[in-house]
Amino acid sequence: MQKNHAHEVWGSRIGLILAMAGNAVGLGNFLRFPTQATVNGGGSFMITYFVALLLLGIPLMWIEWGIGRHGGRYRKGHIPGMFAALWRHPAAKYVGVLGLVIPLVVLIYYTYIESWTMAYTLFSITKDYWGRETQEAMVQYLQSFQSIGDASVHGTWKPFAFFVATLSINIWIVSKGISGGIERLAKIGMPLLFLFALILAVVVLSMPARPGIGASAIDGLQFIYRPDLSGLGRPGVWLASAGQIFFTLSVGMGTLQTYASYLNRKDDILLSGVATSATNETAEVLLGGSIAIPAAVVFFGVTGAVQIASSGAFNLGFATMPVVFQQLPLGNVLGFMWFGLLFFAGITSSVAMATPIVAFFREEFGFRREPVAWTLGAVVLVLGVLQILWLDYGVLDEWDYWAGTFGLALFAVVEVIVFMWIFRPENAWNSIHEGADITLPRIFKFIMTFVTPAYLLFIFCWWGYEDALPILAMDKSPDGGSYAPEAEPYILISRLLIVAFFVVFLFLIRLAWKRNAYDDRLGFTEPEDEEAADPHIAEQVVV
Amino acid sequence: MTTSSLVFMALSWAFVLGLTFWAFGRILLKKKS
Repeated sequence: MQKNHAHEVWGSRIGLILAMAGNAVGLGNFLRFPTQATVNGGGSFMITYFVALLLLGIPLMWIEWGIGRHGGRYRKGHIPGMFAALWRHPAAKYVGVLGLVIPLVVLIYYTYIESWTMAYTLFSITKDYWGRETQEAMVQYLQSFQSIGDASVHGTWKPFAFFVATLSINIWIVSKGISGGIERLAKIGMPLLFLFALILAVVVLSMPARPGIGASAIDGLQFIYRPDLSGLGRPGVWLASAGQIFFTLSVGMGTLQTYASYLNRKDDILLSGVATSATNETAEVLLGGSIAIPAAVVFFGVTGAVQIASSGAFNLGFATMPVVFQQLPLGNVLGFMWFGLLFFAGITSSVAMATPIVAFFREEFGFRREPVAWTLGAVVLVLGVLQILWLDYGVLDEWDYWAGTFGLALFAVVEVIVFMWIFRPENAWNSIHEGADITLPRIFKFIMTFVTPAYLLFIFCWWGYEDALPILAMDKSPDGGSYAPEAEPYILISRLLIVAFFVVFLFLIRLAWKRNAYDDRLGFTEPEDEEAADPHIAEQVVV
Repeated sequence: MTTSSLVFMALSWAFVLGLTFWAFGRILLKKKS
């Protein structure tokens, strides 16, 4: 039944882990994590964070790798195919539409945000914002860059130019394939990201207290790690830390599964999954927590840093940090490193978002990778321009809520049910242990079958009740405020666009299944001779 | 920085670094064998 074996492979295991970690390490590691830790009580947040890592994050990582590798056995690198391989029911492929729509929506606005980091890398090295030494001045500088019509600092062309450049780089990398594009990017980008982050952490942590402020960078660490356990009784702290684990590991997106589909059954996924999670956590806890908040504390004091963190992660990253860099020797180089590391964190994630969609069109319609990638780029360009033009109306926040928050939780709930319950716990457990370098304690079977789904369902229901319903009814906006009356038509159009993505992809899934004459009840046929069916497997590095 | 905060930070860092070194150590050992 597999008419098109558009399958690729990873060049090496370390390349795979770096790409997976690059997928997971994103802007959230350096901006969202310190902000969340600060506003959710430091020590309480960290305890609940590690509990969520063990009960939610790492089990979900294994589940996603398992779903992906199982789909790869049938040459399916996209979620509709992977779900159909696990669940022989006509509905399976349609449920998998989440794994195409969510990465597309997030890709569109995430690439736009990523373009800010590229722009600020250039603004830093050229000292473009030098002389704006207050938080207010840098916020104005940022707003002028973001807001079309506010040409007080930046020309209107700038956000468009940087978006086009960022998107072009993304699509070029995706068009080069898994080994030739994404793995190569990870092998260059991830070491540079860690190097830049390490240098910045050392510089920030060695900064002395400033006259008039009196707080040192160590006081910033003290603030994050103060063992205040009073928050352990607050559900909000547990939800915030679970949400952070969720976002930071890039689970619920459909991207880890696509990367894992390029493995074969002899490859380990359990130890590699732990290595990927651990690499992400090192980037987040060790480095992400040691840069932005400690720097903000030195220059604005503990109270000022909390205020900045409460005003949003972007203000911390794009306004506070440039204020700090202007006061430091070689500040333009440090600024280049800060925004450079954010750029690498962003691009290694955004290229991953494109891969499930490219895989779907290649595998089901037989298209070549390059035309699919560049066509996807054209779609992202058009819709990304809408994001730029409508940023002031809250359209980016709207998409981020429905796809990047609610959608991820929904998708995670669905995939855990499909893999652990419908595919059955014993099959799932045996599947993830195929080729494994480690054997998991049996307690994890119980955790993955009952605790992780319960944890996810609780988060999903809580968010649904607290946020999704009021936001859907437009009683409150995703940032907790209210929608401006003039923004409401744009918000409704942006929601209709997401609905349109679902309709189009559902139609395409139906078309693909008809075109390839798949029988939902029979499932896919596994190639009889795996090595003969996929000549690349012989080249795979199986450690 | 208070001692309790320092201990808490050290434990957090030791956990993530320990997990990272353990995982990559196992991978490298496997590669050698």
